[in-house]
Amino acid sequence: MTQYELDDAGVVVIIGSGAGGGTLAHELTRRGVDVVLLEAGKHLTAEDFVNDEWGGYEMLSWLDKRTASGDWRVARDHPVTPSWSCQVVGGTTTHWSGCCYRLIADEMRARTVYGDISGASLIDWPLTLDELEPYYDLAEAKMGVTRTNGLPGLPANNNFKVMYAGATALGLNASTGRQAINPIPYDGRPATIQDGFTVTGDKVGSRWSTLNVEIPRALATGKLELRQRSRAVFIEHDAAGKASGVVYVDAAGTRHRQKARAVVLAGNCVESSRLLLHSASGLFPHGLANGHGTVGRYYLRHIIQTVWSVFDKLVNMHRGEIMTGMVDDFVRHDPARGFAGGYYVELNSMGLPTTAAFLDPGWWGRDFAGVIEQYAHMAGMLLSGEDMPQAGNRITLTDELDAFGVPVANIHYDEHPNDLKMRSHGYKTMTAIHQAAGAKRSIEAPAYPASHNLGSNRMSARAEDGVLDGNGRAHEVPNLFIADGSAFATGGACNPTLTIVALSIRQADFIAGQMAAGAL
Amino acid sequence: MNGIKAHKDPKLPPPIEVAEGPEWVEALALLDRDVAETLLAAARTLYPHDGLPERVYRRVILHFDRMAAHSPAAAQSFAEFVDRVDAAMPLPFRELSESYRVAVLKRLEASTSFRLVQRSTVRFLYDDVEVWQAFGYEGASVHLGGYVNRGFSDLNWLPEPPAGI
Repeated sequence: MTQYELDDAGVVVIIGSGAGGGTLAHELTRRGVDVVLLEAGKHLTAEDFVNDEWGGYEMLSWLDKRTASGDWRVARDHPVTPSWSCQVVGGTTTHWSGCCYRLIADEMRARTVYGDISGASLIDWPLTLDELEPYYDLAEAKMGVTRTNGLPGLPANNNFKVMYAGATALGLNASTGRQAINPIPYDGRPATIQDGFTVTGDKVGSRWSTLNVEIPRALATGKLELRQRSRAVFIEHDAAGKASGVVYVDAAGTRHRQKARAVVLAGNCVESSRLLLHSASGLFPHGLANGHGTVGRYYLRHIIQTVWSVFDKLVNMHRGEIMTGMVDDFVRHDPARGFAGGYYVELNSMGLPTTAAFLDPGWWGRDFAGVIEQYAHMAGMLLSGEDMPQAGNRITLTDELDAFGVPVANIHYDEHPNDLKMRSHGYKTMTAIHQAAGAKRSIEAPAYPASHNLGSNRMSARAEDGVLDGNGRAHEVPNLFIADGSAFATGGACNPTLTIVALSIRQADFIAGQMAAGAL
Repeated sequence: MNGIKAHKDPKLPPPIEVAEGPEWVEALALLDRDVAETLLAAARTLYPHDGLPERVYRRVILHFDRMAAHSPAAAQSFAEFVDRVDAAMPLPFRELSESYRVAVLKRLEASTSFRLVQRSTVRFLYDDVEVWQAFGYEGASVHLGGYVNRGFSDLNWLPEPPAGI
């Protein structure tokens, strides 16, 4: 592997190797840019992964303490793990289920289309869907998204058959949807064997991740140095206010300072905001790029919730890919529904260990026991919908320091009335689908720890409304970028990974172009 | 029997050995016998599956024992939990009938020690391969070729969706 000197000020330093950082590392290195990629976690391989829900969770998750406040139920159910991302080379792409839907034009013009919603801080994105679409095309090609680039859809599994029967009976549009999981061999990766364990690392490699696609290709260019188990703890700047380097701690606990031509944060929403807030200085007393007090604000986590239903006959939902189904009738904004924004209903399955843990944390007794005993007769669905940005929903630093001397982050989230209306509508929809397929009992399950973490360093046309411009560059620091979900101006309804990848490819074009022009 | 076979990932350690008789408590490293038996009664009251053998609940308590040995805070919470459930009624908790045990646990629901016992019971009970077998969860599959040829799409009591849907 190529190695760069710590005082080499010509490298772009990327913090985090997931969907944003891993993709950007590949897209920059193939354009000839020298990149140092810092990843807090280890470089694991398919051999290391296990087909085991808790074993995988403990192997991959970012388990450092966070705290939670606000009226969201996650603060009660998961008070020290309110959000869920991974700490491993490949980031959360080692865990994701592969859903790949595009934002729609209305979602990128949320303020204009939804109007002025009391208590919400909606803005339009500083770029349009037309500008993003060519990059969605590139992202889908590199990820091997089903139903694009000549690939078929994934086949119906048992859980989908239930969803399809119920949705069709209600006149809704169900399909197995689009995933970055190979139905047939594609791009050197095999077809899925329907093992049902993409969330614990994907031993087979049929699903796209930065671990198995982007990072190996970036390394092959000879332009990337990947430093695993390297925890970024501070971003430094020079007298002119440009980012000049990143302080990080290696596996042995030794501190280093890597100089940089540009710095990109891609540590998943919470960590990127936390690092900016912590990187305060005389010039940036409230944190780097935080002159308007917007870093950490407008945190979004999507409206996520699930419904699990019990049927007379066997379902065996654990067999096969876990999210190969979706209903898209409720994606478009429709004021007649009584709330702004839209949602997807997606297929979801879990094994027995996590079904028991997430069905309703805190539920115990004979009623629970009677339900969970019927695990093999259960079907499941998940809702992913747009939540409202609110100034008070934010990531802040607490007084408690972690092992690296960085303050532990708190995530505050209060539900907006629009969120509650969508939740209620969505629960009714999902329950109706299962009932129409013959469910004898349906359980409305609450949100998991947030895995769609978005918006806390958002893009905005006006500097005072956010942190970044439309290229993901800080309004206040011309060589500081963000390449993760925290850059989203609004959340939209769909799973965010495809959009993070598309934005990263677009950002690579911008950064490489600026460098070539001598402007960066 | 439900006709399935549950598998743990072959890379993971086998289930904890547990004796069938009352001598099972001899395997405890830190928890004392009374504490362990009381936690066992609590686990069985929280998640009462009449068809499951005692040994799966005993394995949960052996996991608690490991937690306690690893974390003084957990040990303290388990001890506090046992003190509270035993002090709640004129009889020790494990001598109470089920409805009284449920009443005692309901009163403690808001406490930190209850939460630890309840969440940890879920964590370990439903991660036990014998429980998987009983409830029809087959578990690890890659080492068996996944489910592509083992029933991922064998549900036949609903209409078959059109090909390519």
